[in-house]
Amino acid sequence: MGYPSANLCPIDKRAWSADNNCWEAPSAVSHKVLIIDDEDDIREVAALSLESVAGWQVVTARSGAQGIVRALEEKPDAILLDVMMPGTDGPTTFRQMQANPKLAGIPVLLLTAKVQASDQRAFADLGVKAVLFKPFDPMELSAQIAAVLGWS
Amino acid sequence: MDSDPKPELAAALELLWQRFLPETLERVASLEAAAAACSAGTGDAEQARSAQAAAHKLAGSLGSFNLARGSILARELEVLYSGDDHPGPELGPQLVSLAAELRTLVEHR
Repeated sequence: MGYPSANLCPIDKRAWSADNNCWEAPSAVSHKVLIIDDEDDIREVAALSLESVAGWQVVTARSGAQGIVRALEEKPDAILLDVMMPGTDGPTTFRQMQANPKLAGIPVLLLTAKVQASDQRAFADLGVKAVLFKPFDPMELSAQIAAVLGWS
Repeated sequence: MDSDPKPELAAALELLWQRFLPETLERVASLEAAAAACSAGTGDAEQARSAQAAAHKLAGSLGSFNLARGSILARELEVLYSGDDHPGPELGPQLVSLAAELRTLVEHR
């Protein structure tokens, strides 16, 4: 996150802007997140949340197969992956990503509306970074992701 | 971020809610139909599976639109439809009541 205003930015963190002819606070660190979810409303709320609250760049996909293609194209910093999707579900998509050397290093967070303990244990055993639950608070989603990934 | 994102986010969420409202109401209608069929003893496994899927989707989304109670009701319906057999007439009144409350919440948000 950036500074509320340049005046509150420590002097040694400011950079000279030739364009604006002044010292400026650094802009917020921008991350790119890929959201894979077949539900249009969930996908759009999550995208809106990450873009407007955290200022992150968001790319989306509506299926596991499309998500893998997008991940290879976009090289996101993290992937938010729905569990229940028709066709290739979230866990299967995650395993396919792990088997691909170009994608295996990208942290994946599962997003699920399943709340049963047995489901949660199974998801945790997959090796994902975290399991986040639906419904999520659009104001808090980016903070949850940032906390898991150590993004300050 | 330099500015408070809350007002902007709330306004954008409202637009999304309106855009997806027809789909949300369709899901509520499918839950009402399944509940009525269970009450009448005419429910079948296929209808129960559709109702479970609709309830699951509503449970996952309504809370993000500031309808936490809606997500709770939808979760209850999802559990009731998740058994191996479709719910029998004895669960009809409960299913009808939950679906009716869900509709009220959605329509009066």
